[in-house]
Amino acid sequence: MVLARLARQREFGPSVGLIGVVLIAQLSTGHFFSSQSLTGLTTIADTVAIVAIGVTLLMISGEFDLSVGQVYAFVPIIWSTLFVVHKWDPWLALIVALGAAVLVGLVNGWVVTKFGIPSFIVTLGMYFVIQGTNNLLIGGHQLVAFDFKHPTLTAFGARIGHTPFSAGIIWLMGLTFLGWYALEKTRYGNWNFATGGGVGPAKAMGVPVARVKKANFVVCSVLAGISGCIQFAYLKGVSQAQGDKYELLAITAAVLGGTSLFGGSGTVVGSVIGAFLLASIEVGLVLMGAPGSFYITFIGVVLVLVVILNVKLGRLTTSGRR
Amino acid sequence: MTMNAAPSRKDPVFELRDVSFSYGSNEVIHQVSLGVAAGEVVGLIGDNGAGKSTLLKLFAGFQIPTQGTLAIDGMPVKFRSPAAARSLGVEAVYQDLAIIEQLSIWRNFYLGKELVKKLGPFRFLDKAAMRNGCIEALQLLGLTRIRSVDGPAWAMSGGERQSLAITRAMSLGARILLLDEPTAALSVRQTRNVLDSIQRAASAGLGVLYIDHNMDHVAPVADRVVVLDHGRIIVELTGDDINAKHLGDLVAERREELSAE
Repeated sequence: MVLARLARQREFGPSVGLIGVVLIAQLSTGHFFSSQSLTGLTTIADTVAIVAIGVTLLMISGEFDLSVGQVYAFVPIIWSTLFVVHKWDPWLALIVALGAAVLVGLVNGWVVTKFGIPSFIVTLGMYFVIQGTNNLLIGGHQLVAFDFKHPTLTAFGARIGHTPFSAGIIWLMGLTFLGWYALEKTRYGNWNFATGGGVGPAKAMGVPVARVKKANFVVCSVLAGISGCIQFAYLKGVSQAQGDKYELLAITAAVLGGTSLFGGSGTVVGSVIGAFLLASIEVGLVLMGAPGSFYITFIGVVLVLVVILNVKLGRLTTSGRR
Repeated sequence: MTMNAAPSRKDPVFELRDVSFSYGSNEVIHQVSLGVAAGEVVGLIGDNGAGKSTLLKLFAGFQIPTQGTLAIDGMPVKFRSPAAARSLGVEAVYQDLAIIEQLSIWRNFYLGKELVKKLGPFRFLDKAAMRNGCIEALQLLGLTRIRSVDGPAWAMSGGERQSLAITRAMSLGARILLLDEPTAALSVRQTRNVLDSIQRAASAGLGVLYIDHNMDHVAPVADRVVVLDHGRIIVELTGDDINAKHLGDLVAERREELSAE
């Protein structure tokens, strides 16, 4: 039956949740689909979702990255410091800034695989290291580029014609496709599932598990950096608070999207849907007149409920999945 | 196999030559020489702690000998990883490491040796070819109970997992098969199936090294049985000499000799 096959897809649960939230928000407020709320929804969802793609790939291999939220601020801070303050060419500055993200990922991956320390601890350390560095770089200030015009800023943050959407959504579509392709269609994807499913057997079958994990840490940092640049280009500014809680929101999006906390299973599309679910809850509650940051309380409850539901339903519906 | 007068003195495809191995200052393998020829099933038995697992790891590329060499077709080789060993046709099937439960059966089957197809500059996993290859292997094994190769491998029994792993090694071009207690914790019927798989592999020309702690397990299929004790080979049996009673006497005798020395 079509419905039964559909229900076995990992993306089914979060999709139902997303549709439900959107319907409730639309029916009770009547303007969920207004241009203004769609802009709000997508600008939140794009950036969380792009970070969540990297986090998902990494979680499938059985590791976490708590430093992505700080990298999300770190990369645009370096980028904009170089081209706004030091008058560098924005392209060159961008390459240097993303190079810094690669470095962060390499260090995370190297320490985790070399010393066998839980990534939770290693990336918590990295979180503090980058937070301190961000503070050193811009302190309590905001770095703005309001009057700056450059193709890089257009590419990351411009509004698309007269639509409510901006460039971030194009990036999200492209990166979702790449992430899906890598995970579902390449040998790397198979190795990634195997690494998280069982490091011992994977090694015995010749899967380079350390290399897979290192690659994931780098991808995770770079995607967080790109996402941070998208946010910067959209807002034309960055403060140290950018990316606050993003490491946790990305993990939440991944878990809502059906990614296992223990590695071995998950999907990129599911996590993107999870990110839209988070953003819809936020926008929906704001439309309903809830206090600005109350949504995080709601999300906390939803997260735990979803995991309980997954555990209860897990064994019933996992047959036929990878 | 013994009935076919399997060639026990053919040149080995794969051999250890005077290999020793130490963990730090603790030497656990002492100058072992052991070869496996094509189509031959060699049983390697010994008590816990005799050095069986270490020997297996040396064969499979998990460990590098501290002394001595490995040779394939008479040519010295060095494995720096299990992947290197696999690329030269040495496949190991471990008791606990045979299968990743969460992965689908076909993904397990081709893990590390995935089939890919090219489309312009892109390379895709050839899922259809892998699914079909896996289905064929299951049919060959008579594992008709498995309804879908897309299902997770946790649905398979212990015997099915071992049989699948052995068949996987065969169909992926292995020349040497290393088996680590493949019938441990299996029912009689499952054991029979696994032994059939081993014989099928040997008939197809693979050399098989079958490691177990129990003579009774290896006796039905082995052309030659080697007994490992405290990191040394102390007894070697072929043909009709392969039976548990005889072996017990020999081992006791040999141990006395060694302790008298």
